[in-house]
Amino acid sequence: MAANLTAGAVAKMLNGAVSSEAEMVPILQVTDLKLIQSKLKQSRQNQDLSQERYKLSLSDGYKTQEGMLNTNMNTLVNQGTIQVGSILRLTRFVCNLIQHRRIVMVLELDIIAEKCHIIGNPAQTLTPIAQPVGNPEQQQARRSELNGVRQVNDSSAARFGVANPPQPHVPETSLSTLPYVSSTSGYGSSRQEQIRPPQAASSRPVQPSYKPQQQPQQPSMYVNRGPVARNEAPARIIPISALNPYQGRWTIKVRVTSKGELRRFNGPRGDGKVFSFDLVDADGGEIRVTCFNDVVDQFFDVIVVGNVYLISKGSLKPARKEYNHLPNDYEIHLDNASTIQQCHEDDAAIPRNQFHFRNISDIENMENNGITDLIGIVSSISPTGSIMRKNGTEAQKRALQLKDMSGRSVEVTMWGNFCNAEGQKLQNLCDSGVFPVLAVKAGRISEFNGKQVSTIGSSQLFIEPDLPEARELREWYEREGRNAPCTSISREFSGSGREEVRKVITQIKDEKLGTSEKPDWITVSGTISFMKVDNFCYTACPIMNGDRPCSKKVTNNGDGTWRCERCDRCVDECDYRYILQLQLQDHTGITWATAFQEAGEEIMGMPAKDLYYMKYEDRDEDKFEDIIRKAAFTKYIFKLKIKEETYSDEQRVKATVVKAEKVNYSSDTRFLLDAINKLRTEDANPLPINQVTSSHGSGAFNSGIGTSGTRETSSVDVPRREIRLPAANQVSQFGNEHTSGSRPLGGITYCNACGGNGHAADNCPSFMSEPQGQHTSSAYRSTPGGYAAGGMPRQHVRS
Amino acid sequence: MDTSSPSAFVNGALLRRYIGQKVRTVVQVIGSDMGSVVGKSTDDLQIFVKGSPPASTTTYLEVIGIAESENSIRAETWTNFGISFDALNYNELCKLANGEFKHLFI
Repeated sequence: MAANLTAGAVAKMLNGAVSSEAEMVPILQVTDLKLIQSKLKQSRQNQDLSQERYKLSLSDGYKTQEGMLNTNMNTLVNQGTIQVGSILRLTRFVCNLIQHRRIVMVLELDIIAEKCHIIGNPAQTLTPIAQPVGNPEQQQARRSELNGVRQVNDSSAARFGVANPPQPHVPETSLSTLPYVSSTSGYGSSRQEQIRPPQAASSRPVQPSYKPQQQPQQPSMYVNRGPVARNEAPARIIPISALNPYQGRWTIKVRVTSKGELRRFNGPRGDGKVFSFDLVDADGGEIRVTCFNDVVDQFFDVIVVGNVYLISKGSLKPARKEYNHLPNDYEIHLDNASTIQQCHEDDAAIPRNQFHFRNISDIENMENNGITDLIGIVSSISPTGSIMRKNGTEAQKRALQLKDMSGRSVEVTMWGNFCNAEGQKLQNLCDSGVFPVLAVKAGRISEFNGKQVSTIGSSQLFIEPDLPEARELREWYEREGRNAPCTSISREFSGSGREEVRKVITQIKDEKLGTSEKPDWITVSGTISFMKVDNFCYTACPIMNGDRPCSKKVTNNGDGTWRCERCDRCVDECDYRYILQLQLQDHTGITWATAFQEAGEEIMGMPAKDLYYMKYEDRDEDKFEDIIRKAAFTKYIFKLKIKEETYSDEQRVKATVVKAEKVNYSSDTRFLLDAINKLRTEDANPLPINQVTSSHGSGAFNSGIGTSGTRETSSVDVPRREIRLPAANQVSQFGNEHTSGSRPLGGITYCNACGGNGHAADNCPSFMSEPQGQHTSSAYRSTPGGYAAGGMPRQHVRS
Repeated sequence: MDTSSPSAFVNGALLRRYIGQKVRTVVQVIGSDMGSVVGKSTDDLQIFVKGSPPASTTTYLEVIGIAESENSIRAETWTNFGISFDALNYNELCKLANGEFKHLFI
């Protein structure tokens, strides 16, 4: 049996000849097995990270070697598959020098035999100081690296040292030369936590080892001396997956996949700054690196996304899963001793980006706040809107619809810089009729509106990425996806939030706004055409209720005081608040709306109380009427809340003015120019983008604005859309006299009737079967002459 | 509305299309003289406006008159448009009024 074990393997590990599976795949026997609770310091937030680890002694029949079992094999121990006496083949391992001891980190293994008697009479050997692993200076340097620099925040490595209770069968002679024992003095308190066999304590009291004179060669743990000399030998490159907190020196060869912004914070211990970046290596392992304060200055400019680096030294901390979504339990914290060296030769073995794409249909069942990668076709995108955060800062957001082959679509919300950079690019692509492929790396799933995916700081967006998945998606989209039915897992594509949705007045009725569960928020550019001035305000309760006045109606007691039913109190003086009944008019129609206090003040330009006193106390009718006249027949941009309400069993759609702003003609004109531009590009790209749902009267305006149509992309009738536009209509019908029914558009003959290229409207095949434009054309037909003469009445739009 | 004598919206570049016809444009006044004003059109071209300008002009000035050459107008009507005026919007209007949507304008 002894022949099965790799004789001499332990000796080679101890002297450094063998440090990983690359040199040797040894077969060793487990002679001892212990459970260690390594409560890591940083794991306060993540209780699940306080890990259980197994420490084992491995024998080659002659000597034993200490090792740690990777946590993923804990179950093997718990099941009893690995026990004392088990014979293992170490297929992946790393020998590390920790606190002057060689420790084998076992990453992967094969079990040769579950149970076997102990072979031979192995003696535990610990790395003595005299081992030919380096000269004393190097030893000291390493110790400094291990204990000095990271001592403060990396107690885990030291605890590991403590966590190895001395073995009962250790030859007494080796004790005095064991430098590691003294390390316990620094962390002696944690010793009591350790699980240890009672005989170990009794057979060899630990007390003597605390006496410093017993280890005169040992420098104090607390002295934070810089390295005397550095071991400049190139460290071996290990995979990211092999990184663990118990290694002193390591080097990884990695590509930077994303780089976070430099953030400043002020915490209880003063101001600081931090930045982090994500890495991937040739084995597909991913890990995040975080730098603080001075280290930020050292490395921030060095790190460029896409470059390959050799990164060496740094401490491994448990990943804060609330900020770090990478599939790694650790993250690297760099310090002043860390090195980052750029590899100028690209390593094609290291992927550029590591995607774990999920189908949109899967996201429906994924947990809230989970992080996912997505790839899909952008079917629509909304304009950038801004919302006010709770802390008073403004944030930009923009939503798009992403659909994929699973037949589902999801709303993806972009925040901050994504809105203008990638968002604008996507908008341009969508406007020009291309539906781009978008890959989202690290989007967060939220349940804000059904299921939704939002960008976070470390998210990345790739437009038309060069990936096999993107090509597959594109092919699918061209083949069938374009017309395939698609169910959204987000509740509604309203752009969520309250961004500006510009509508015209007739759309309120035509689109049945306000009749769904939630109110609709729209913006209308219109004029106040009529105002009920008799009861423009009411007497309100001024008693503060929380941080705002009660504002309920108060009634006159007849003795000069006012009584509020809700507050059940009387006040000497009441407040006056607006309740303005307004008729709003735009070029499509008229609607009634109510403006309360704030909006009322915006419209009238003065507080309700002042206006009330003017009319009822000063009885200055002229001045009052003057103010009313100023407000009426003035054009405003109204923000309206549209909601259906029930009044005595009668359903009525009610419009409330939330905000009224005097039209800024300059910016409003720009808005209209944009709308005209959009209308023209839509005409030039006869793709099913919008279906106009309202009547012809507002048709031209509607499609120009275009935000309304996005909900209905299912059934699309291109010719009909064209014909509904009065502008296009005239040209195709009557414009023949002067434009021959075709508009030269970038040199291409373009048909107004069907939206196709290559023929004029006169010859348009769609005319043969489609008696177009019945609803407006008759009006024009009677007066073609007058129209051609140029004296065209402006009102023609409203037939 | 009097439509017997329409005046076309023009910027500097469009002026040449209407030589001998009635046009209207807005210029930014660069210099004025007895009997003429030098202005910058909304598309950054120089336009000479002849006639009798008002005694004082504001930054922006609307003129209606006959296009004499590709860079001069003999103005009949002068209107001060104040100091703030969105030249970009006006320029876009001129382009639309002379392009695709010409039929909508007098």
